[in-house]
Amino acid sequence: MRASRPIATTRSATGIPTGRLAVWWVLASEVVIFGGLLASYLMHRLGHPEWANAAAVTNTWIGAFNTLVLLSSSFTAVLAHQAAEHGDGKKAARFLLFTMIGAATFIGVKSFEWYHEISEGYTITSNGFWSFYYTAAGLHALHVIAGAVIMGFVARDAARGRELQRVELIGIYWHFVDAVWIFLFPLLYIAK
Amino acid sequence: MAQAAAPTHGPEDRAHAPHGPQGLLKYLWSTDHKVIAMQYLFTGMAMALVGGFMAYVFRMQGAFPGRSVPGFGVVTSGQYNALITNHGSIMIFWVAMPILIAAFGNYLIPLMIGADDMVFPRLNRLSYQLFLLSALVILASLVVEGGGFGGAWTAYPPLSTHPAYNLTPLGASLWIGAVALEFVAFLLGGINFITTLMNARAPGMKAYDIPMVCWMIVIASILFMLSVGPLIAGAVMLFLDQAVGTGFYDPARGGDPILWQHLFWFFGHPEVYVVLLPAVGIVLEIIATFARKKLFGYKLMLYTAVATGVLSFFVWAHHQFIAGIDPRMANIFTVTTLLISVPIAELIFVMIATLYGGSITLTTPMLWALSFIAEFMIGGVTGIYLGASGSDIYFHDTYFVLAHFHYTFFPIAIIGGFAAFTYWFPKMFGRMMNDRLGKIHFWGTVIPFNFIFIPLFITGIGGDQRRVFNYASFPGQAHLAPLRVMATVALLVMLAFQIFFFWNVIWGLRKGPKAGKNPWRSNTLEWTTDSPPPHGNWPVDEMPKVYRGPYEYGHPDRDDDYWPQNLPA
Amino acid sequence: MTESRHPDYRKIYFVLLALLVISVAGPFVGIRWITLITAFGIAVVKARLVVQNFMHLKWEKRIVKWMLASSLALMALFFTAVAPDVMKHSGRNWVNDAALAATQRGIAAPGAEGGREGAAAEPAAGAVVVAAAGFDARAAFSTICASCHGAAGGGDGPGASGLSPKPAKFSDPAFWAGKTDAELLKAIREGGAAVGRSATMPAWGSLYDEAQARALLAFVKTLARP
Repeated sequence: MRASRPIATTRSATGIPTGRLAVWWVLASEVVIFGGLLASYLMHRLGHPEWANAAAVTNTWIGAFNTLVLLSSSFTAVLAHQAAEHGDGKKAARFLLFTMIGAATFIGVKSFEWYHEISEGYTITSNGFWSFYYTAAGLHALHVIAGAVIMGFVARDAARGRELQRVELIGIYWHFVDAVWIFLFPLLYIAK
Repeated sequence: MAQAAAPTHGPEDRAHAPHGPQGLLKYLWSTDHKVIAMQYLFTGMAMALVGGFMAYVFRMQGAFPGRSVPGFGVVTSGQYNALITNHGSIMIFWVAMPILIAAFGNYLIPLMIGADDMVFPRLNRLSYQLFLLSALVILASLVVEGGGFGGAWTAYPPLSTHPAYNLTPLGASLWIGAVALEFVAFLLGGINFITTLMNARAPGMKAYDIPMVCWMIVIASILFMLSVGPLIAGAVMLFLDQAVGTGFYDPARGGDPILWQHLFWFFGHPEVYVVLLPAVGIVLEIIATFARKKLFGYKLMLYTAVATGVLSFFVWAHHQFIAGIDPRMANIFTVTTLLISVPIAELIFVMIATLYGGSITLTTPMLWALSFIAEFMIGGVTGIYLGASGSDIYFHDTYFVLAHFHYTFFPIAIIGGFAAFTYWFPKMFGRMMNDRLGKIHFWGTVIPFNFIFIPLFITGIGGDQRRVFNYASFPGQAHLAPLRVMATVALLVMLAFQIFFFWNVIWGLRKGPKAGKNPWRSNTLEWTTDSPPPHGNWPVDEMPKVYRGPYEYGHPDRDDDYWPQNLPA
Repeated sequence: MTESRHPDYRKIYFVLLALLVISVAGPFVGIRWITLITAFGIAVVKARLVVQNFMHLKWEKRIVKWMLASSLALMALFFTAVAPDVMKHSGRNWVNDAALAATQRGIAAPGAEGGREGAAAEPAAGAVVVAAAGFDARAAFSTICASCHGAAGGGDGPGASGLSPKPAKFSDPAFWAGKTDAELLKAIREGGAAVGRSATMPAWGSLYDEAQARALLAFVKTLARP
């Protein structure tokens, strides 16, 4: 069912395009969701020094590699935005595709990492550290997957020269996902 | 998902040409904000019947323990727990929020700011669909094996996490799933409302020309959005504890049940202002119109509402005074809680000051609005005893608390809901309701309401604990039984009088006189278009422009005692 | 559309990579503070670079910065207010020792003479009322035990009215007949059921250690009257 775009959507009393304003509100709400989860983790981690034994098991190299992947995917996402602003939908779509490949790589590496950890016996119920580890990284991974899926739709439209303003929007969301991981990495991997 | 970049409206179609689904499918698949508003309204009202029926059953058990309840049967202890739990959850999440915020927000915001729809109509539809799904899930939770969740709407672990304790594993998981879905629906809806208000205003409508109810709904949406995050995280953890056996809230496994309490109440307290502010907004619109008077202080009201919202984030632990928190922490939260009574009292003062010197007409909506002020004040002052930790040590978990929050929630959800419904019915349906029936319904609701909860204040002071299945087990409390019976009888009377409401709705829809565009002679933009408004709200080339604020009543430069916002000077 | 404020994305990307390398190298230095600063300090710097430059927050309208600042401020508030509570909990009953100590200090403060009527007699010679350093057994009794056992140990506290059997009556010599200290200490620390009596008497072992329980028992003995 197609609805034509209402006049309301095209107005901009604040000067910020409506789509971008909405994405910022989405991020504001995501900050408090992840913030709540990570604050809960932090107060437990500080209160349970013995969790260091579990934390020592996480593989910093894999975590660092995944950080590299996400940072690079953010880079390609912002290049996609730059291309979209110059009206080059096909180039934007190509950079978005690289970002999606980054997302797939991230999920692939994480799957391998988790498979390895679970088969060593470190499951979500093993102890408090592992419960938070899988929950926080899992919630983040769900956001990666959702973001990549939406990015696919945006890229498809961009390749046809349509709705180019959405490239910036999905990019802003993507950078947020990257920023969350920037904090997850030291919390779960470095702070041992 | 892709759509044409160029608008499909040409200068030749004055009205927005019908598009999208027509006929019956329109009601299932429409993206029109007014249709979606109706969907929320009727779903909310249906859920109110469910929640009200639950109240009837458990009040009958409370007054006449062990006796078979007509229309239900004998109440078991597990059923009792499920009834009180789901009554609370349903009334807050599936009645108050959808009616006050989603229904009236959806209906009014685009109309009152002179827009043709919300900025994201398809997201709007998705929000409703998620909300409907959440309602179906909570209803399903009541009938699955084991029965509905009975751990109170606050769902404290370990009762809520261990099937061995709550005896309703499936019900408990469906409950938390329904709540989580409802949260997502309102997050999405909130983004729509906020962005629409910020961006889609009519040309000439400055920030201080926006009708107060729109501001209130949007501030409420922002409060909701910022407070619900930690609880969503907490709900994920609760679900994992239930379903997978993690120990987030299990001290033996390194977790902490008090963490859940903090996560819950960090949201739970702002939540009450999430529902209060829209009700206040509705009451303000009605008062201004039926006192023919400008709001006493528009900016004052706005800043006070914002201050209330900000302060509401600093008071949550007053729900945990006897949970073993540090008394020094309790001191801090006592101070902040007593402080927040100041801006709220100020909201009441502004309402009264607006009425003072006004030319008042006591229509049905106005009666509802006035009773809101009186009843909410009682709720508010009784909160003082609970906000002070010393007295709360005695009152916590007694019926005093219950009476306090019903004296706040009932005005908010029920009085505010009926106020809005009777005021905007002419706009929504194009016909007038019957004022006589409306007044009978009004008095038949508000008077019995007081006879339900004043007795419960007294029983609370007398030591009646909350959530007690059978008071026969407490012989020391037997002398309070007549008050419990009085409360239940008053509830029966109040429920009976709701018939007048349904009668009035049907009468209005079939026989009510045609309303015309502006039966109440009000200033705001929704009254400048047809009743009910067409798709797109105004013809494309007649979208309103705004020249003044929304409350220019009794202006000396005018002959008429009102001055609509869209009339050029 | 952002008005073409595009910084040099490549340079920022390489800075981010360099910061990543430093944060991974940090722990190898072996000094805890350096690890924390490189890990979290750099995380803040990296996030800031991403948010300001990739998300263009630097050039965004002020209202957006306020929105995000509010979200972060609320998270700081949540952590600051909740961590002191949650982090002070210990044991299976999430006992908050700091809160308990504060409560006892409040009750034992001068002027708070609540539980003293009837227990005014001198303790028997040699009885130790305050045993563990800083532990006030009299105050603990009035806070915790008196509600059931009564201020003077008469088994008649306010909480006793609904109980059956009634709480032990310390002032009754019949109670003390044939009881050993070991049995009484076990009742205090492991509950009534552990000594074959009513399970309504809770186990206080998570609250009182061996020395404190002895001090309590010594105090309770002073309540015995012929």
